[in-house]
Amino acid sequence: MARYLAWRLAALLPVLALVLVIVFTLSRLIPGDPATTLLGPGATSAQIAALRAQLHLDEAPLLQFTAYLGGLAQGDLGRSLKSGAPVLEEILLRLPATLELSLLALLLALLAGIPIGVWSAVRANSGFDHAVRVVSLAGVSMPAFLFALLLQLVFGVWLGWLPVSGRASPFFLTEPVTGFAILDALLEGDGEAALDAFLHLLLPTTVLAAFLAATLGRFVRNAMLEVLGDDFVRTARAKGLREGAVVFRHALRNALLPALTIVGLKFAEMLGGAVLTETVFAWPGIGRYMFDAIRNRDYPVIQGTTLVFALIFLLTALLVDLLSAWLDPRLRRGMR
Amino acid sequence: MRGLLSFLRRNPLAAIGAALLLLILLAVGLAPLWSLLWPLPSPIAIDIQAKLAPPGAAHWLGTDYFGRDVLARLLHGGQATLAIGLGVVALAFCAGVPFGLLAGYAGGWADLVMMRVVDAMLSFPALVLAIALAAAFGPSLGNAMLAVSITLAPQFARVARAQAQSIAARPYVEAAIALGVRPPRLLLRYILRNGIGPLLVQASLALGSAILQTASLGFLGLGAQPPWPEWGADVSANLAYLRGAPWVVLAPGLAILLAVLSFNLIGDALAEWFNPRRRNAR
Repeated sequence: MARYLAWRLAALLPVLALVLVIVFTLSRLIPGDPATTLLGPGATSAQIAALRAQLHLDEAPLLQFTAYLGGLAQGDLGRSLKSGAPVLEEILLRLPATLELSLLALLLALLAGIPIGVWSAVRANSGFDHAVRVVSLAGVSMPAFLFALLLQLVFGVWLGWLPVSGRASPFFLTEPVTGFAILDALLEGDGEAALDAFLHLLLPTTVLAAFLAATLGRFVRNAMLEVLGDDFVRTARAKGLREGAVVFRHALRNALLPALTIVGLKFAEMLGGAVLTETVFAWPGIGRYMFDAIRNRDYPVIQGTTLVFALIFLLTALLVDLLSAWLDPRLRRGMR
Repeated sequence: MRGLLSFLRRNPLAAIGAALLLLILLAVGLAPLWSLLWPLPSPIAIDIQAKLAPPGAAHWLGTDYFGRDVLARLLHGGQATLAIGLGVVALAFCAGVPFGLLAGYAGGWADLVMMRVVDAMLSFPALVLAIALAAAFGPSLGNAMLAVSITLAPQFARVARAQAQSIAARPYVEAAIALGVRPPRLLLRYILRNGIGPLLVQASLALGSAILQTASLGFLGLGAQPPWPEWGADVSANLAYLRGAPWVVLAPGLAILLAVLSFNLIGDALAEWFNPRRRNAR
């Protein structure tokens, strides 16, 4: 296991290096001179020269890149052009909101996607199976922003059951300790505030979870169908095991392992969708922060959030790989 | 080909997808002709007196804040959206496939380096990379398309590489090499031609995500710029009127959903068609 871990980490390094190169290059793609673009038309030549020096624009590209890496090593993602605050601080401030949303969405997607996938495989080609297939394809095809708007319209505006935006009602603002709204409210022993935070979470979580649940349900179905056709399943049936035991103990266990990879990949992909979802629901996470940065042409923030999203992606992939290796003895031993 | 047709017949979802696509193509492609049959206003004709009119006889799908006909914008915007999807996928295909074929055929160091680049690009959530690229290039439709195609290209490279690897080992390729067929011709005539199936599946699935992502960029203000109609941009431009006049948002939004759904239905069925293991499993 230790060797596998070491090998996996070593394989990550070149990819990480290339990710850094890509993110660095992004800031140099801005047409014309970045300093002039960043400062806008009203800037004096002295200001431009100062910013050029600050951004190391007057140096060779390789030196610029090493300066960028040096900054990163010290946790320096640059400063926001809008607020002047360090980008890293601003991102860390908003990260809990995004994590709270996406982890809950992950949980919801697992709870919905796996049973649906299993049931469609067991009842393959039934009415239920076909209905699930259509609904899940629609779920994958649905633009996240449209689904978010529809939910807002139906549950927020027409029915008036749920709040349409934000993270908490004005009179329920709790002191952030962990940064997770529900936890913070519970820590204060404020049940009403916790409920309020939960209600605010419902709609955005549903939007994020829908995409993941749709993908996962379809994947589990197909994986189950393949496993259910395998010889060991026939053996299990032949020795007289009850169908429930065959499906859950034998087939599902083997179908879940490939599903884990998909969950990891799609979870990270879903975070990209957080930009849209957080924007529609005015959710104060890093997705919304990125959207605001786009509007303000706040390039250091765009660059910083892009890097953080990529790092979360890489970290998730690593976690999934390690988890699969831990769960699957074949991967743990033999390979490499 | 006949096998494919009978497969479509046995696969109602694929048939629905194809019918849906045909319908959309007819409606959108013939938009200029429709205006000969009944007076369809220009998609950018402003009529302030009729602003935010609900769907009715004069405006079948109502009007937006500037009194522009939503149906007209839907039909004309669809031309933009579908053309964008095709353009983006074509770009991604042309960038990713040669890259992947070369990596898979050459193997060794070239393969290793190329695939690490692909891994790095796939390490970004696609939408985030597209946003970052589009923001760096500057907000315009062309730049948004370029950004989305860059995020889609690695997937084509992956599929093309896998195809090249498996096909390069076949006897007829060895025979061609022995006969002295040059690599460019070999890649194009022998490997690409025999490995095109999964690439077409990929293209059909990518069409859906291309439209979805370009629309998302449009929604974030990084795609098509006003006043020209495009579905994603139209959703975003009308957000403020969602409560009072939901049609201005829902019409282009649902149009995106239907278009992407039709491509996914077709791509899903094609994937099954090209994957014998799944074909038999049914």
